[in-house]
Amino acid sequence: MSECIVVTSGKGGVGKTTTTANLGVALARLGHRVVVVDADIGLRNLDVILGLENRIVYDLVHVIEGECKVKQALIRDKRLEGLYLLPAAQTRDKNAVTPAQMRDLVAQLKQEFDYVLVDCPAGIEQGFKNAVAGADRAVIVTTPEVSAIRDADRIIGMVEAAELPEPTLIINRFRARMVARGDMMNKDDILEILAIPLLGVVPDHEDIIVSANRGAPVAFDDKSLVGEAYRRVARKIRGDADVPELSLDHDTGMWATFKRWMGLAPSQEVVG
Amino acid sequence: MKDLINRWFSRNKGASKDEAKQRLKFLLIHDQVDLTPGQLEEMKREIMEVIARYVEIEPEAVSDFRLERGEGHVALVSSVPVRRVVERAAS
Repeated sequence: MSECIVVTSGKGGVGKTTTTANLGVALARLGHRVVVVDADIGLRNLDVILGLENRIVYDLVHVIEGECKVKQALIRDKRLEGLYLLPAAQTRDKNAVTPAQMRDLVAQLKQEFDYVLVDCPAGIEQGFKNAVAGADRAVIVTTPEVSAIRDADRIIGMVEAAELPEPTLIINRFRARMVARGDMMNKDDILEILAIPLLGVVPDHEDIIVSANRGAPVAFDDKSLVGEAYRRVARKIRGDADVPELSLDHDTGMWATFKRWMGLAPSQEVVG
Repeated sequence: MKDLINRWFSRNKGASKDEAKQRLKFLLIHDQVDLTPGQLEEMKREIMEVIARYVEIEPEAVSDFRLERGEGHVALVSSVPVRRVVERAAS
């Protein structure tokens, strides 16, 4: 059975595109056939995060306008069996596509793939309506900040208004050290306010910048704690019941430092 | 030097997350209900007037009059101490 999941947030800059790319990589690594769809028409970026920007010939708008077949526009990720990208158009705007057209496109993609992940543009207008049109459910990305959580709350309401099931939450850019000293809302603070089920917490880490520089999502990297966070979210998305919660506690104890130094524990050098 | 001491102390103070949470709760209620603080005050005054027709109250003793977010709804919460029932002329 295949499923279309829209990754959305309301606010821009909270990590939707990075999340979409990493969940695509992580789900494909689990053996699923995955297509990540960039629905941010006019401001495409998913191609860059995945390092596939040089291979674009056709895009989503070409497909919708019938200039090419879906298969011609899909870019296969050569690093990973089963991962494909459908890029957005860069020279068009959001009005080039209607929700009905997106629904048809997603229906076509669902015949070929186990997961269709749609990277939703920021905002609540036409771009959002297009991105949710074909979705079976939504994943909300937020960061532990007042503005991002406020917008997430608004988007949760809009997802419900679109008659999708209750969305699930990813808390991104989590800084354990700031939480430990009371300068950042923790997981429970955020869940108390947004009141939707949690998929996972992703730590803020320099790895993300480096992976974006290289066009290689961090979910490829087995040694990265952030990569592990995304891989666990992916397992929860596909319905694994036994996914342990990733420990992000800021541990400065000598024993923990020693263990990390000896390579006995994964690096917890989370930006604090 | 003074700067350094200040920074040390402010670093230890922390807990700005409580402020964030409070501001956020307030924001979300007002995003949903769309009442200005002035309108809220006006509503309080009018509601107290109506209550005062039936029971004797002390408007100054009203400790609570605010909007609160529950699951899927916003509630108006208030605590109004009643002194006694107003004697009403037999109709």
